[in-house]
Amino acid sequence: MEKIIKPFEFKQCVSILKSTGKKAANLRGLRNIIAEVSDDCIFHHTYQYFLKGHILEYTNDFAQWAGEGLEERALAEYLSNIDPYSFKDINGLRQELLNVIDRCLADFPEPREAMQGDEFYFNETVTLTFPVGIRVKNLAEFLIAIKYIDAAAIYYHFYEARVRLGVDDFSKWLEDSQGRNELAERIKAIDPFMHSIEGIKNHIIEAVEEEVRRDMEAVEQ
Amino acid sequence: MITQYSGISPKGDLILLQRLGEKLKNRSFLHINSTRAGGGVAEILHRMIPILKDLNINARWEVIEGDEKFFDITKKIHNALQGNFENITKDMWQHHYEVNRINAEKINFDADAVLIHDPQPAPLIEFRKSGKWIWRCHIDVSHPLKEICDNLIRYCGKYDAAIFSVAKFTRAMGIDEFIIPPSIDPISEKNRELTGEEIGETLNKFRISPDRPIILQVSRFDRFKDPIGVISAYRLVKKYNDCILILAGSPAADDPEGEAVLKEVQDYAADDPDIHILLLPPFSGKDINALQSAATVVLQKSLKEGFGLTVSEAMWKGKPVIGGATGGIPLQIVHGVTGFLVHSVEGAAFRIRQVLNNPEMAKRMGENGREYVRKNFLITRQIRDYLSVWHVMENKGKGVMEL
Repeated sequence: MEKIIKPFEFKQCVSILKSTGKKAANLRGLRNIIAEVSDDCIFHHTYQYFLKGHILEYTNDFAQWAGEGLEERALAEYLSNIDPYSFKDINGLRQELLNVIDRCLADFPEPREAMQGDEFYFNETVTLTFPVGIRVKNLAEFLIAIKYIDAAAIYYHFYEARVRLGVDDFSKWLEDSQGRNELAERIKAIDPFMHSIEGIKNHIIEAVEEEVRRDMEAVEQ
Repeated sequence: MITQYSGISPKGDLILLQRLGEKLKNRSFLHINSTRAGGGVAEILHRMIPILKDLNINARWEVIEGDEKFFDITKKIHNALQGNFENITKDMWQHHYEVNRINAEKINFDADAVLIHDPQPAPLIEFRKSGKWIWRCHIDVSHPLKEICDNLIRYCGKYDAAIFSVAKFTRAMGIDEFIIPPSIDPISEKNRELTGEEIGETLNKFRISPDRPIILQVSRFDRFKDPIGVISAYRLVKKYNDCILILAGSPAADDPEGEAVLKEVQDYAADDPDIHILLLPPFSGKDINALQSAATVVLQKSLKEGFGLTVSEAMWKGKPVIGGATGGIPLQIVHGVTGFLVHSVEGAAFRIRQVLNNPEMAKRMGENGREYVRKNFLITRQIRDYLSVWHVMENKGKGVMEL
């Protein structure tokens, strides 16, 4: 009997920003609020950082603010080096953020206050997910689709999936449903922190295109 | 109508709009503000209502009426919320309430969702009947006069939710506060692509020669938009680069100070033949489009700004934009990528010179700007967000929703 191939259904998410009403004007304030805000808020300022989509120097909003708002470049580097996907839950991530800030507060003079208007505003999001109406069954279809979809769909499957599954949706499907283990490994190897979403998309296209080309050449032989 | 945005707006936005449209089909959505012409709110409502109707949502737009005294008071409230000192007496607040009470007798409030725009109609909440009531604040309230702000919060805190354009405008009011930037309509007369002939017609009409670089600021004649600062910056540039300056604006029915500011600007420009001050009638979208399309560099040198949609309008036309680092302008201008943020007349002058002398950089910034606007500041995204907030409020308590 033929194996039933599970299609890949492309989805997308849209996040509506919501204020928590909390803001910090200095590093100690930031620390104290990080300690008490909701998990959704921490999630937004770390995992959802890449939804912003434009070229950014840092890997989360806290690092961005430390670097640009407080001009604490070293702290910004420490915070940027935190990998949110290496924690089991948000509280683990929260604790690591606090550890890094506490070390900075203990070892260095307390940084200046942020300029008025440059305070850190703590937000959270409500996220709506929806299918974009594209289902693919094989690699060639996958290649066409990935070129066509919006950046927010790449975010959903490449970044957001890591929170749901611990791995991106693309490599999981390529491995489980297509048996493309090598290709899946190549996609898993794309560093999520070192590229914009467009950059991630281009890397995936490149890897899949190469695999499709190899398939076609194999047929010709 | 929504199909007209295919190939322009991000695909995901259009898909989500349709899904939300299915969820909210035949439900009613009432918008109320204080002017039908002039200013960004009226402009976006003119475009938004037909799109909502096209999604099978029963959208209505009502405008409150008031006397001269009312609009003088609301202008003072507006200025005080943006940080200017204003004295608003108890009687003035009472008049503000009274005018709203009279309007409430005439307006049909039957709707599933009611969006009240800005402080002028904020007291209408006292007369709510049913549905979700949301207060939409379009102005920069990052550093308001506390007393005025507290007085207004008396009303705003009674809404089910509030929407601000920028995170730093939010206040702790004890209600849900969403952050939704406003938007431009890419297919409106103001933003559609014009032919060279159409651009030429407008320039001829205003006797503007396209032979020299054009510096342009489009905005109401309002001190917060710093038209005097723009002229000063132009004069600094003029020492190094031959150029002309256009200041173009339309009067807003709810802005009684416009005439006085226009006079100040005309006096300051004196008899410089290279400064063109254009007072455009309402609905001059095509002329504004032509001026923005003809400009070499566009300014929005505001000192306070709710959002400053003229920035997105110019970026959509592929122009580098130099904007005051205030209100919503930094959300639109990624410094050095889509334009420049400035903090002074001198800063504006320096960046204008930089753009005039680096056409390749200007072109690159313009291209980046257009794409940035496409992803973030088109009307389809704003309607998507409004409908999402409505849907979220009816399904409270969920952080993630599958549609």
